[in-house]
Amino acid sequence: MKPTRAVEPWILAPLERFVTESAARLTLVMTPSGQVLAQHGFTRAVDVMSAAALGAGIVASTGEIATMLKEPGFQALNHQGRRHGIFLAGFESPRGRLLALVVYGTDSSVGLVQLFFEELIAEIGEVTPVMPAPKAVLAADFEADLNQSLATLFQ
Amino acid sequence: MADDVRAMTRELARDPDSLVFIPLGEELRRRGQLDMAAKVAASGIERHPNVADARDLYARVLIDAGNPAAAEDAWRMALRLEPRHAGAHKGMGFLLFQAGDLDGALDHLETALSADPTDATIVQALQTVRAAAEALADSPPPQERVFAGFDGGGAGVLLADERGLVLAGTAQDASGARTSDAVAAHVAGAAREAERTARLIGLGDWVSIAVEGPDGHLHLSRPTVESVLLVKRDRSVPPGRVALLAQRAAATARQWLEAGNL
Amino acid sequence: MTLRHRRILEGITRVRGMRGAMLVAADDGLVVAEALMEGIRGNALAALAASMVKRLGLAGVATGIGEVRFLHLQGAEGAMLVMPAPEEMVLVAVGEADVNVGLARLEMLQAVRGLT
Repeated sequence: MKPTRAVEPWILAPLERFVTESAARLTLVMTPSGQVLAQHGFTRAVDVMSAAALGAGIVASTGEIATMLKEPGFQALNHQGRRHGIFLAGFESPRGRLLALVVYGTDSSVGLVQLFFEELIAEIGEVTPVMPAPKAVLAADFEADLNQSLATLFQ
Repeated sequence: MADDVRAMTRELARDPDSLVFIPLGEELRRRGQLDMAAKVAASGIERHPNVADARDLYARVLIDAGNPAAAEDAWRMALRLEPRHAGAHKGMGFLLFQAGDLDGALDHLETALSADPTDATIVQALQTVRAAAEALADSPPPQERVFAGFDGGGAGVLLADERGLVLAGTAQDASGARTSDAVAAHVAGAAREAERTARLIGLGDWVSIAVEGPDGHLHLSRPTVESVLLVKRDRSVPPGRVALLAQRAAATARQWLEAGNL
Repeated sequence: MTLRHRRILEGITRVRGMRGAMLVAADDGLVVAEALMEGIRGNALAALAASMVKRLGLAGVATGIGEVRFLHLQGAEGAMLVMPAPEEMVLVAVGEADVNVGLARLEMLQAVRGLT
């Protein structure tokens, strides 16, 4: 079974439960800027980075369309292919806005993914610890943090 | 006959070390006087601990008295004293046949026959065991016979564990090909799905799943917490009857599981 | 929900003991139309019912009975009934544990014919 990995431990159990119940093949939980907090199913760091960047980009683009339409924002996006579906959604958490990118196969459905995604959001809301006061981020710190995150996601 | 017993008893009284206790004990055993036969044999063994015939006599008395475990000990001791003792091999052959170890029974009986080719009872015992072995070679393994008493000889009744492995029974697809392993995996998955669905929808513990298809009916249930039972019947059997059949099969499955048949 | 769908679902919910009925997109597990009592999680029912049909469909092929035409999940406290419907939908009904399954099944058959 492919492992689930998280930069911060509190997200691991909720994500593992989501993956088990929804039968998701790939999952990323990230910030709107594409910084990955947890992943399931990916085997290469470059794939995680690409998927995160593309996912964040899609959400940002559809966010702009929503603004043009004077909509508050789209909650979720789903693309259905022949063998896979992609589900992309934003949600509020105690750590601010987060995004989830989920890839599922024919053994699941968007209905199941949505159902257990709601439970994932609720669980993350319950288990997220209180964040310490943010410190100023230097470019060097950011790169070091990103490399550290990638290393954790592929332990 | 009674004179023989009296004569042998007098001889034994006159000479307690006499081996006459062996035919005396055998005669008492044949008459059904098992307590007396046991005393004679036990007393004889005390005086003659290394005589295999004495152990053999004692074993035969114990078998008649309904104590096969002690009889086995006595026969094994006889064979330690005399490895080709025909009587002991015959006795062990009988015990192993009773226990279902036909190969072991055949080994002992063939040795008994080679040690005493004149004993017609050994020949007869060998014939019996060989016939049983041939019948067993033609029949399916025990776990496939668990539901053999049901309509259709148990076909289409499968018991799987929660990991999707076959425990008992068989399943076939439309072409008649065996699909037991695949079906076991599917029913375990269906059971997990049913548990989840029932829990999240508020149906309580799931009890059964009935499925109707163009070519038959399926009924899934849980004889125990760790097992799933599938019963399949063709469309000529109404779903209510399939459910009743499944209840009976579940009871059989529970009994079989509780008997430790794993 | 169209008027036609509403009429079809109401026919099923009129069966004594029924707590709701819905039409679900079979592949997606998403609600197309629903008529559910309070307290029933429609999106969960839709997704899980569609998933059960897929799962039991595989068992149906492996056992030779063919595709699922009707599915009855009996629980200690309720029952779920599912029947494939036209246009890649499934008709789902949920009821009390002692709901008359035979009657509900007939109503569902009638409903499916109404959708054709």
